[in-house]
Amino acid sequence: MNIVIDGQEIRCKAEQTILEVAREKGIYIPSLCDHLRLTPFSGCRLCIVEILGRKGYSSSCSTCVEEGMEVKTKTRSLQKLRREILELILSEHPNACLICSEKDNCDEYKSTIRKVGEATGCVLCSNNGRCELQDVVKALKIDKVRFPSVYRNFEVKKGDPFFDRNYNLCILCARCVRVCHEVRGASTVSFVFRGSESVIGTILDKTLLDSGCQFCGACVDVCPTGALTERALKYETLPDKETTTICPLCSMGCELEIKLKDGRILSSRPSGTGAVNQGQACVKGRFLIKDLVYSPKRIHKPLIRVNKELEEVGWEEALGFVAQRLKKFKGKDIGLISSPQASCEESFLFRKFAREALKTENSDSTAHFSPLATYMEMARVNGLKPGLNFRIKDISEAKVLFLVGSEIAVSHPMIWLEVLKAVRAGAKLIVASSIESFLTRYSSFYLRIKPGSEFYLFSFLCKAFLEKEQEPDASKSDSFEPFKKSLEKLHSSQVFEFTGVREEDLKEASEFLFREESSIFLFGSGMTQSPFGSQSVSALWNLASLTEARLFPLGLENNLRGEFEIGEKFSRKGLTFDQIIGAASSGEIKALYLAGPVPELKKAKMEFLVLQDSFKSENIKMADAVLPAATFAETDGTFINNEGRIQKFGRVIKPVGEAKPDWWIISRLAQKMGKKGFDFRTPSGIMEEMRKASPSFLNVSYPEQQKEKKFLPLTFGRFSVETSKAYPFLLCVEYNLDFYRNLSLSQEIRGLKILRDSRWIKMNSEDAERLKLKEGETVVVESLSGKINSVVKISGLIPRGMAAASLLWNEEADFSVFNLFSPTPQGIHFSNVLPVKIKRGK
Amino acid sequence: MDDINLTKLDEIRAKISQLREKQKTCITVCGGTGCHAYGCLEVAEAFKEEIGKQNLQDLVDVKTTGCHGFCERGPIVVIQPEGIFYQRIQLDNIKDVISKTIINKEIIDKLLYIDPRTKEKIVQEKEVPFYKKQKRIIFGNNGFIDPTDIKDYIALEGYKALTKVLFDMTSEDVMGEIKASGLRGRGGAGFLTGKKWEICHDVESDKKYIVCNADEGDPGAYMDRSLLEGNPHSVIEGMVIGAYAIGASEGFIYVRMEYPLAVENVTIAVEQARKLGLLGKSILGSEFQFDIHIFKGAGAFVSGEETSLLASIEGKRAFPRQRPPFPAQEGLWGKPTNINNVETWANVPLIINKGTEWYSKIGTRNSKGTKIFSLVGKIINTGLVEVPMGIKLREIIYDIGGGIKDGKKFKAVQTGGPSGGCIPAEMLDLPIDFETLAQAGSMMGSGGMIVMDEDTCMVDVARYFLNFTQEESCGKCVPCRVGTKQFVDILTRITQGNGEEEDIKKLEDLAKTVKAGSFCGLGQTAPNPVITTIRYFRDEYEAHIKEKSCPALFCKDLIVYYIEPDKCVGCLLCLKSCPVDAISGERKKVHLINQELCIKCGACLEVCPAKVGAVSKYTGKKRDRILKKSSVERAEK
Repeated sequence: MNIVIDGQEIRCKAEQTILEVAREKGIYIPSLCDHLRLTPFSGCRLCIVEILGRKGYSSSCSTCVEEGMEVKTKTRSLQKLRREILELILSEHPNACLICSEKDNCDEYKSTIRKVGEATGCVLCSNNGRCELQDVVKALKIDKVRFPSVYRNFEVKKGDPFFDRNYNLCILCARCVRVCHEVRGASTVSFVFRGSESVIGTILDKTLLDSGCQFCGACVDVCPTGALTERALKYETLPDKETTTICPLCSMGCELEIKLKDGRILSSRPSGTGAVNQGQACVKGRFLIKDLVYSPKRIHKPLIRVNKELEEVGWEEALGFVAQRLKKFKGKDIGLISSPQASCEESFLFRKFAREALKTENSDSTAHFSPLATYMEMARVNGLKPGLNFRIKDISEAKVLFLVGSEIAVSHPMIWLEVLKAVRAGAKLIVASSIESFLTRYSSFYLRIKPGSEFYLFSFLCKAFLEKEQEPDASKSDSFEPFKKSLEKLHSSQVFEFTGVREEDLKEASEFLFREESSIFLFGSGMTQSPFGSQSVSALWNLASLTEARLFPLGLENNLRGEFEIGEKFSRKGLTFDQIIGAASSGEIKALYLAGPVPELKKAKMEFLVLQDSFKSENIKMADAVLPAATFAETDGTFINNEGRIQKFGRVIKPVGEAKPDWWIISRLAQKMGKKGFDFRTPSGIMEEMRKASPSFLNVSYPEQQKEKKFLPLTFGRFSVETSKAYPFLLCVEYNLDFYRNLSLSQEIRGLKILRDSRWIKMNSEDAERLKLKEGETVVVESLSGKINSVVKISGLIPRGMAAASLLWNEEADFSVFNLFSPTPQGIHFSNVLPVKIKRGK
Repeated sequence: MDDINLTKLDEIRAKISQLREKQKTCITVCGGTGCHAYGCLEVAEAFKEEIGKQNLQDLVDVKTTGCHGFCERGPIVVIQPEGIFYQRIQLDNIKDVISKTIINKEIIDKLLYIDPRTKEKIVQEKEVPFYKKQKRIIFGNNGFIDPTDIKDYIALEGYKALTKVLFDMTSEDVMGEIKASGLRGRGGAGFLTGKKWEICHDVESDKKYIVCNADEGDPGAYMDRSLLEGNPHSVIEGMVIGAYAIGASEGFIYVRMEYPLAVENVTIAVEQARKLGLLGKSILGSEFQFDIHIFKGAGAFVSGEETSLLASIEGKRAFPRQRPPFPAQEGLWGKPTNINNVETWANVPLIINKGTEWYSKIGTRNSKGTKIFSLVGKIINTGLVEVPMGIKLREIIYDIGGGIKDGKKFKAVQTGGPSGGCIPAEMLDLPIDFETLAQAGSMMGSGGMIVMDEDTCMVDVARYFLNFTQEESCGKCVPCRVGTKQFVDILTRITQGNGEEEDIKKLEDLAKTVKAGSFCGLGQTAPNPVITTIRYFRDEYEAHIKEKSCPALFCKDLIVYYIEPDKCVGCLLCLKSCPVDAISGERKKVHLINQELCIKCGACLEVCPAKVGAVSKYTGKKRDRILKKSSVERAEK
């Protein structure tokens, strides 16, 4: 359609607002409360315009265009009115500097005076130079405020991690309120009080921590003033450079905008153009990147062990030392562990290095313990070829979403945002888990199932579907009859016994599932790591085939897909991750090359241990050589995210200290060992070779789910983890990616530790009371195979008789959930649930 | 009575009338909120007790009815069918009423209303001047109906209009009828009700809602409250008819929590109507289905704004939202929604019953029907009055209201609540309708009418109303949230004697900004009290600012209390009543106020005997002289 703005004829789309159209055409209309990704609010009243034939003034942010509409944006009366409204805003916002005639002359002192506690003028405000209010004042040429200024004298709220809230600077644009509710679904902050006392606040003025805040920082990013400021930026100057990178802290790979000053990272913000995240991030990408890169745990120089002590040496010496020592081991004697957090190029290179330089097949990573691995293993065994790729957008377009075994608001925040979009658009969300989370408030159905009972849940749903649809399309498949027959052995009583969910509730939930088209099952390690994970995946496969739903496994690590693709393409015959760890402990493996996080190897009997990492871990005590690796920010390369999206990232800063990228270290080391074919100068050189080795690699495609339906007959057994008198608690192990390489983010970065300490054991207040335990107290958690220390955290979400702890690979031995599992000759099965007892520590 | 149909409703009505035709005496006790405060419930109980004692149950009934409107004279008792009007009934009058009036048909003189002008005692309710000039077509039945008994309403032709609509009229007919009647919304803006219905009717949707806006929030206004308390079924019947016309299947009555009696009575009424099949599936046996929910609001003034009200029902903070889309297009949960005020709904059955022609004869060319005003302030007959549109302000204030209290001079009347304006004495002959009030800078609003006398300071009135809007602003948009605060700050400064020359200009500019810039009706009309008081009483502003004087002798910071030496008889009364011991003096000697200590509470003025009249208030130059004198006197001591 066509409209006229200030005499200019403009073509536009029907659903656009006047403000959007004007912005597209470069016509400036001042506004403070409007935001690209939020519903219009019309609170600041600065974007008012005159529309021919309409009474009074209309806010352009909330008025949609109509055919032939004639709009004026800059009449004298409009500008006057805007100026007066802005004066009213400024009467409540410290304005001395904004209208100060000397404002251009105090630059020199700004950085010093900013350090006062309260911002009573722009030069004292940490948002100076980034403030949208300043821009509007400039545009409207305000040089005086006729109204007396009122300092509202609110106490600055500093009791939360990562950012402060100073509502003296707030102009009540409600962007934070809207982004928190509309985009993030957390609804932590809201308007409180009314009239001139209106202010933004939390329920009962509690801290954000106690109000369900996820600390995603979205509110900080949309705040037009300095009311919400990142604490780490408070005393920083303005950046001189901006660049983007890919966040390595979950499997979605948000694009981050990194701000730099003199080659140093100042902050990371979600990039507005990021294909995955579109201006959003989570606590990790938003607040941890800088602290991660400059962590005091960084290893700055190569170290080698001389006379039982680690000594700093140059790269040449270190590489020479390692090369020489490594030559003594090969084949079964040696193992290599890499990380699914490394880039595709490095992943490839680690495998090549293991095979060609170390001559061993024993190379693996934690990718082994991912939903992807369980799913693909099921597929391989049954001769299925499921497509793994999807588009994040598919989720928001789904009509039914079934979420199982993943706390996505924490582990996959971007997926959660898409789920929320779908729910807002009317989709039904069904959640099955043992522990409730904040997102269940959005679910149409929450099924509190017993840990590990997904198999029975899905089998029941299959049976319910077949009862409803006598002749489903799927019945043409040859495999259908045996499958159907196998279901006859399933009895309702078993379903209730094992899942703990009443049949009526299951039936009701199934109604949603069967009614709608385009369903998606999202499943995470909470399901696949259960002792019956592979059975559950088979049952889920059947259910998805019946209901024509799609299956999205939710892995954790940023390059899990890449690691997996490489692993698939360059197949592996040696020991797996847990077997390598086991063999190292038993002495079967004599040398270990550690380039990924592993549990503390306290009792390992090894002859030679190389540690290649960016951060010190407990294993450094045993290392014979330590090679400082660069982080993702200090090199470039490629990740493949959970969707299958290929994500190129570039170097942001120079490596910290003398650290070198993994690909550089490996290439040089191999060369030192006299291997040919390792003379890589850049990661793109490695990529070239990968392409040669496997031409299909990195060919983006979105394969269809397989058309030919195949069903897997099911076998029913006693699939249940049970407690005993000696071990009365069921411990749910949460797989979190709160680490980067060997840095435990939830231990080393204070803000995250406050939010979710990896050493917490979360339990119900009644259980804690019964055991006379208080929050913060250290307890001993003991399983049949080991015991560890944990810190009590009371949580209303944990049902009675259960507890939850998170597993970080690189945790110290005394605290590592790893030590609760028993090693077997076949390796260790890291299950997500096991019976434990909890008692007070000493 | 669960399954009801057309014939049955008529049968019920006939049966009820038959039972009542025996001309049984009925003592009706007004049960409105005003009379509640006077203790009407105890009065009604006492009547019942006395009747029981004397075994007169077969002869006489006691009924607690809806509000009679003449709140000033509560508790009000009317004895039917004679219509004997007793006012200010006390518990010790009850025995007399029973023995004399009921048994011996004797009128008790001392309980009658005395016309203050003619000093004549008036026996019948309808002869009381307060009622004489009213046209109580909406409110009239209040006095005959026990609001908690649907039978009373049915007996008085209740739900007859609904029967007619459901069986003889199409939805178009109904809308046509309402449109032709010229009925305009009684909630404020005066939009044509029939037109509003039509817009909502024409939007296609699988679900439509109607809402009754009973979030009456204007200070001093309580007519919607009295209607819901006194005759809830008239509102419900109106809503069912509206729902039928529009095609809505669900309705909400949004009533504020602060109206407990209204909530109770309307809840009972909805339940009774549902039981009789007048709500729910298949109303009166027809195919039409409709039900009503009661939604209790938390009492925010802004919730009276329709989009905020909808947000509130949806469970959100009562913020107004952008129009268009109008609620008729996208209202509750995105579905077309029609919102009318309590009084508007109550007009609907009347129009259907009595016809457009009858209805449109009442009122002026563009404003039809009657309007209920709550007449409060410095007026003799405080209460709720229902008058035809076009009546003059003078008639309401002097003929119905009985004039100004204590023989004071009329100064202004504030109409339309905090969003309205003040109309001065020169405009007393203004015929009241939507247009004339708007032209005078005020508005009809929901019908608040606050009368002010010569002792009222107009600057302070403006400050009072702006303080109200400041507190009730939702906080969403800048001009309203911050602008009203600035108004209050400036006006407070002026009343404290700290006004500056340019303040009037500043107020006028700010008024323009807030009016033009605010998002919703609340902010857009909030400056009205300031605009009209400046327009009509500019001299008072100037006196405050330039001379630091308050002509109405109201603003504490601008006046002094002074004991006239030539009048004081030295009785010690004022001296004893002064809470801060600011008055000195001895018996039979002239008393003196220590101006430094005086807190201007006015106690001395109140206790000084009228025939002495020694205490005066002064402002301006005289005040300055007195203050100076007082300080010199103190210095001498």
